[in-house]
Amino acid sequence: MRRRTVGGLAGAAGLLAVCVLLGLSVGGVRLSFSDLVSGAGPAGETARLVASLRAPRVLLAALVGGCLALAGAALQALLKNPLADPFLLGTSGGAATGAALAALAGLSPLVSPAASFAGAVASSLAVARLARRGGRLDLQRLLLAGLIANAFFSAVLLGVFSVASGQTARTMLFWMMGSLADATPGKVLALAPYAAAGLVVLLAFAARLNLFAVGEENAAALGVDVESSKRIVFLAASLLTGAAVAFAGIIGFVGLLVPHAARSAVGNDQRALLPVSAFAGAALLVAADAVSRAAFAPAELPVGAVTAAIGAPVFAWLLLRNP
Amino acid sequence: MSAFLEARGLAASYGPTRALDGMNAIIGRGEIVALLGENGSGKSTFLRVVARIVASSGGELLLEGRPLAAFSRRDSARRIAYLPQATDLVFPIRCLDLVLQGRAPHARGFSADSSDDRDRALAAMRACDVEALAERDASAVSGGEKRRVFLARALAQEAEVWLLDEPTAGIDPRHRLEFVELLARVHRERRTTVVLVTHEFDLAADTADRVILLRAGRTVAAGSPEETLTPDTIRAAFGVESRIETDGRGRRRIVPYEPTR
Repeated sequence: MRRRTVGGLAGAAGLLAVCVLLGLSVGGVRLSFSDLVSGAGPAGETARLVASLRAPRVLLAALVGGCLALAGAALQALLKNPLADPFLLGTSGGAATGAALAALAGLSPLVSPAASFAGAVASSLAVARLARRGGRLDLQRLLLAGLIANAFFSAVLLGVFSVASGQTARTMLFWMMGSLADATPGKVLALAPYAAAGLVVLLAFAARLNLFAVGEENAAALGVDVESSKRIVFLAASLLTGAAVAFAGIIGFVGLLVPHAARSAVGNDQRALLPVSAFAGAALLVAADAVSRAAFAPAELPVGAVTAAIGAPVFAWLLLRNP
Repeated sequence: MSAFLEARGLAASYGPTRALDGMNAIIGRGEIVALLGENGSGKSTFLRVVARIVASSGGELLLEGRPLAAFSRRDSARRIAYLPQATDLVFPIRCLDLVLQGRAPHARGFSADSSDDRDRALAAMRACDVEALAERDASAVSGGEKRRVFLARALAQEAEVWLLDEPTAGIDPRHRLEFVELLARVHRERRTTVVLVTHEFDLAADTADRVILLRAGRTVAAGSPEETLTPDTIRAAFGVESRIETDGRGRRRIVPYEPTR
């Protein structure tokens, strides 16, 4: 491994550790770092107790952020497009709609990751179909197709929201805005295998993604089975997105911002970029969640609003830089 | 001449559009073959089928007498290198990493960065006079330099066949001449089989052992440059009138002067 890769990985892991400490200490009751770390004395004990209550939320934020950033990084390389992101391409919207429809149908919350994965895959396929022109994915059409998909899914979600009542409506709102407030240790444990599976699959395809990042034809000419690789990477990205949305709703821009920042730190070698993005995405969402709890405490902002508030201006800046 | 690469009635389509429609070609080992024809005649498609970017829809394509489809994709990528007409790079990539991609078909899991791969990549860059660009971002080098970097990549790929899609299009005269010299030198040293697509009669006449003329996805003439590039065949393939002249250095030159009415 190159020194830059090792440095990037260590940097991103360090950043995540700092953000986790921040996430544990920030909230209705502020905890000091030293009490949190030492855990000694009455203050330390209180700190540990509060932190243990916050821990599932912080861990869920880390996993969700990691999933979204990984999915974004993989899609960007696969589609050779720095603006690809599960949120902008409508994958998240599809996932949320799948989960919401399952909830409306009265299915058990246990199937919500499956429903959300199905929604993510269906949305990916539809968007890819819309963006296809003359046998290839057209990048401009891809972003437009994402826009169309998002408009459609938000209409469905709003429609379901308006006819649903009570608990269901609350659940819809949760999926639309993105929230980590309902984190439980069970959710963390349920999401972890999806995140791990997605990471393992994408890392196995990292070298191939490097060839895709120069172009699909480039990958084909260098011996990659392009169609099967595309299918697998798309499915892995949809799985990561679907799982993240099932447990935290739609959270935009993490998949866009993080790979971009990681790329400027470690370059575009996917073997480094994917793991660094995973760590950095985890760090970003933990930090964004801390901000959402601290900014107007005791009231909470939806975490999706925080990532969008950071993400939209950065996206605008990216657009200006990549005409 | 025994065929190294052979197309028999080869067909390929993009959706409803037929790009190759029963093309025949015999390419011998170590030959330089120029593929000429008007836009849409199927030249680039032929390269893309051989590079396994586009699947054929009929006919046969044989490498050493075996159907190319019988080779694994990776196996054919070890033997066949493809230089695209133009590659727009969206993400930053060092020229060295681009050349290292040529080693990908040889590497486990496409991860080519052993010190041996690096040595071969750097040697290839040296041979193409682009070693100094190794650490530079490939999206920031000039068109001529980029062509040479891609040629270095084909060299690092250690393939027996090179497919060059309009290698001299869009580069200035000096870089064009340098590229032709470089190609001739590398070909001499390695006896690589080269299939090049071009619109330049002069390039074909000067570098190619044989010329294949295509029209509407079919071969209309094949043979030495002298017997293939005549006013009659050029009229048939391109719909233009031309005459043969001899330049100051005694080389045969084809000069197209008006569209056939």
